[in-house]
Amino acid sequence: MLSVVIESMGLLCSRQRSVNEADNQENVQAAEIERRIAQEVKAEKHIQKLLLLGAGESGKSTIFKQIKLLFQTGFDEAELKSYASVIHANVYQTIKLLHDGAKELAQNDADSLKYVISLENKEIGEKLSEIGSRLDYPHLTKELANDIEILWKDAAIQETYSRGNVLQVPDCAQYFMENLQRLSDVNYIPTKEDVLYARVRTTGVAEIQFSPVGESRKSGEVYRLFDVGGQRNERRKWIHLFEGVTAVIFCAAISEYDQMLFEDENKNRMMETKELFDWVLRQPCFEKTSFMLLLNKFDIFEKKVLKVPLNVCEWFKDYKPLANGKQEVEHAYEFVKKKFEELYFQSTGPDHVDRAFKIYRTTALDQKLMKKTFKLVDETLMRRNLIEAGLL
Amino acid sequence: MASCAFAGGCPSDYVAIAFSAASLIVLFARATYPFLVHKVASTKSSGFGLVIIQLVGSFNLLISLVMSINFLKIKHRHQWQECYIWAVWFEGPLGFGLLMSCRIVQAFQLYYAFVKRQLPPLRSRIFLPMILLPWIAGAALIHVRKPMNRWCHMRSQWVIPVVCLHGLYVASLVGVTRALRHIEFRFHEFDDLSQGITVSSISIGLWVATYILNELHEDIPWLQVLSRFLLLVTASILVLAFFSLSVSQPLLSQMSLRKREHLELKTMSSALGIRDNGIILRTAMLDINRPLDELLQHTRFRQSFMAFADSCLAGESLHFYDEVYELSKIPINDPVRRVYMARYIIEKYIVAGSEMEVNISHRTRQEILGTLDLAHPNLFSGSIIELIRLIKMNLAKDYWSSMFYVKFKEESLKESDGNECVTGLEFSPRLSAIRGSDNPFHHDNDFH
Repeated sequence: MLSVVIESMGLLCSRQRSVNEADNQENVQAAEIERRIAQEVKAEKHIQKLLLLGAGESGKSTIFKQIKLLFQTGFDEAELKSYASVIHANVYQTIKLLHDGAKELAQNDADSLKYVISLENKEIGEKLSEIGSRLDYPHLTKELANDIEILWKDAAIQETYSRGNVLQVPDCAQYFMENLQRLSDVNYIPTKEDVLYARVRTTGVAEIQFSPVGESRKSGEVYRLFDVGGQRNERRKWIHLFEGVTAVIFCAAISEYDQMLFEDENKNRMMETKELFDWVLRQPCFEKTSFMLLLNKFDIFEKKVLKVPLNVCEWFKDYKPLANGKQEVEHAYEFVKKKFEELYFQSTGPDHVDRAFKIYRTTALDQKLMKKTFKLVDETLMRRNLIEAGLL
Repeated sequence: MASCAFAGGCPSDYVAIAFSAASLIVLFARATYPFLVHKVASTKSSGFGLVIIQLVGSFNLLISLVMSINFLKIKHRHQWQECYIWAVWFEGPLGFGLLMSCRIVQAFQLYYAFVKRQLPPLRSRIFLPMILLPWIAGAALIHVRKPMNRWCHMRSQWVIPVVCLHGLYVASLVGVTRALRHIEFRFHEFDDLSQGITVSSISIGLWVATYILNELHEDIPWLQVLSRFLLLVTASILVLAFFSLSVSQPLLSQMSLRKREHLELKTMSSALGIRDNGIILRTAMLDINRPLDELLQHTRFRQSFMAFADSCLAGESLHFYDEVYELSKIPINDPVRRVYMARYIIEKYIVAGSEMEVNISHRTRQEILGTLDLAHPNLFSGSIIELIRLIKMNLAKDYWSSMFYVKFKEESLKESDGNECVTGLEFSPRLSAIRGSDNPFHHDNDFH
């Protein structure tokens, strides 16, 4: 499939804007339309197009939400409320995943006893699993929340959660489970943080226009940011956005080096990200496009790397742990960063060398960090514009 | 006549060659014509691969006969004209064996889908080489033992196993076909198959007889000339008959040129004759506070929502929903039509890398692909639940504030002559930049 997309990409990029030639003089209307289009194009010209790309669950939509929070009006109450059902769905799905996962591990795993849910919780588990497989979830009442909490605290479920990397448990699981009482409140309105944590698998494309006007700056750039789905089937839609892109913001979840893809559980997520980044870099459309690589989910990474060695992933198999604690985290991060850097220079042909490339360490949930990161991205892109205009 | 019987180049030989050349031309014309007329793009399907292989097999079989049984007067045999290349490799594994194996693979796929109601356990690109193996092994053995004389003929102890191998494949094709005889096929597959088998058994019978005569009675000139004439002519007929009698699905079998009504039909559901008896409510009666999955059963609403989803480049989920909804209209006691529709949906939406692959989890996909009953009413329900959730979380919110909903509402108001006002609409934050065709997947064809 990829090859087809690549093939079609080339055609898409080389296609020139068709210009009416002889018809123009004869048809005044056509000329008028042409003029308007030209006007529109001119008006659009100062808008910079940014694409958020990356594999599934790499944090694209979280960044999209952050932009909305940081540079737009944010979420009003109605919007916040609309997230309640999403968050509740996350809770029900998580508990079902963990319950069914525990059952499966209890049957198949060598150390199966660990995963047997205690007798008194079995009934609760069955009930919640049944609810989790429904299309419409019931409202999260206090009683249900209590049941979920009891089950969550079951030793077998906790044991299963620690094996979450094989189960497709969303990253928000722990956060929501710890806040169950608040979530089940009758008057619950999700907070900004809840919304950022909420997991929604994006399908299709969404866009947002914003201008990171700082306190000091007068005329900020205007950006149009596109968010897309990251699963394999979604990627075929990306090519519709590839023309005229100022910068690609590529998200790579560095904590996912021991996880498998949602859409193909035989493929390591980091390996997929590697191939995907390589593919995006080689797009002929992106010859002059800047690349902002966000090594995302650093918060999970710094915890995980101390427990799960980096070299479980094939790409990092030459990694040698150095020390422990904070130093080790830094060491591991630098290693990953270097790998991505190498990949970038490998996949960037000699004719693309003038594009900008920056790597940022991010946690998309962290508002302060994201604000800082965006400021840097903005600065880089402004500088780039000045260079292109010959002013620097 | 006696001289040309051994050296080649009798008048009858040229007639036979002309006949086979003509049949090859007809064959290729029939194979390419549908592509020129319908401009089909379904080249990725496995059916297409099998057709190409069949063409190659047919060509190989005919050319191997011409080259190996001295039809042409060749004074000095070059290395590439060697008996073992043509009479053994091209006639066996690359010709007759390949042709028969293709047919067996097709019949086997039908058997699995309709009798066992499962997806075949082996992909045709694995299964085909597997059943070709005996041919390759046989050819290699003959090549090593070199039992042929200077006329490319073998002695009877070799002819018998060779003929047996040919017969075995014909017999197994007949066997698999017999297992299918109770199924009432929707698109005349069984008729095709049985006609194909009748024609080919007759010509194979004739062909084997002449083959044996040609191989064993080297001393009778007229018999040599006659038998090789018959050999090539029957092979040409066999090849043509085999190809024309297609065994594949309706939409994939544009290869077959028979005028069938469903060629003009656009969707699988209309090809299967599923009538639209969806809930045709007055649109005004639609209560938009109902759950989305209930609303989607309303045909007009579904279409409006689908157009919206297409504009957000997320249409495949809705198209999938639509087709599964069509499938649900086929009664349970009509498993054949259900299997057709299910296979079609799987190939279009479920298989990894398919044309309009939907965003579902690995497990759900594997469950469908490993199903034990393709006609099962709940085959797609897991994936539908996943996708409705996806649609609800992603698209539903934006739909209510989109132009598509406004239009839908307007139309329904017009219909009911109501004077209700649509107020408080914001426009959707979805794609303003992408304009053009509603269905993003239709672009893909333009690129090729």
